[in-house]
Amino acid sequence: MSMLLKIVSDVLIAVGAFFALVGVIGILRMPDTFCRMQASTCVSTLGVVGVTLGGLIHALFVAETPMAGAAVKIVVIGLLILVTSPVGAHAIAKGAYKAGIRPDKPMETDDLGRDSE
Amino acid sequence: MRKTKVSAVIATFIVCYAFWLLLTWSVKPQELIAGAVVSLAAALFSARFFIHEKAFWLANPAKFFTGLCYWLFIFPGELIKANVNMAKLVLGGCKNVRPGIVKIPSELQSDYGRAALANSITLTPGTITMEIAEEDGQAQYYVHWIEAESDGAEAGEAIKGRMEKWIRRFWQ
Repeated sequence: MSMLLKIVSDVLIAVGAFFALVGVIGILRMPDTFCRMQASTCVSTLGVVGVTLGGLIHALFVAETPMAGAAVKIVVIGLLILVTSPVGAHAIAKGAYKAGIRPDKPMETDDLGRDSE
Repeated sequence: MRKTKVSAVIATFIVCYAFWLLLTWSVKPQELIAGAVVSLAAALFSARFFIHEKAFWLANPAKFFTGLCYWLFIFPGELIKANVNMAKLVLGGCKNVRPGIVKIPSELQSDYGRAALANSITLTPGTITMEIAEEDGQAQYYVHWIEAESDGAEAGEAIKGRMEKWIRRFWQ
């Protein structure tokens, strides 16, 4: 049983690391500011969820003595990142747009630009 | 300045104290008392910024469990779908990127519901809420979308998916 849980926790951590890697590749490859922010969301969602869930299972079931304190802190860390990161993303995206940053290639549709004129 | 309601203070106190208990993770009397004093002070000063509507909105069990179901099952499902899409897009060399800012309407009325939907949209990779405007009592979201294929209500369906229907069940 503990072997199975160890495999589950390792797989979750690997999945989280994979999505974090995808997010970083996306940040490097995407053409403009806003698209880069989109790619970075991968890191702060499945990246964080995968790693924290894997760590949680490890702390509760795989470690030789279950670490309740560590488990609780992992949950709090995961929740805090999930609650705060979208707020930061709104603020950065809106700030970048207001500061006049636009992609080199014009966007398909720009309803915000049209309505704020 | 908005007045501080007693129910708002109690709700904020409960959240602060729960956080304190989780972070200290001990039941020594001095920890419990210090936590209560600090949480109460924090709640007295900050409750009016946090809670604008009914404080115990989620005390209704039906609403609470619908919310729990949304955050534990429906939303992670959408999250995984969007993450896989984004991974395909990035590993495929970002060729199909067609960014655009689309305006989508929403039926939600309460502030909490609107904030929850905006955060859900932002958390799914591929869409970021940039602005919420209110027109004729209806919230309009301006969303930066990485595959802007459609406009108006159709784009709204594609972006919000099942999320709005579920949020409406517990936050109007």
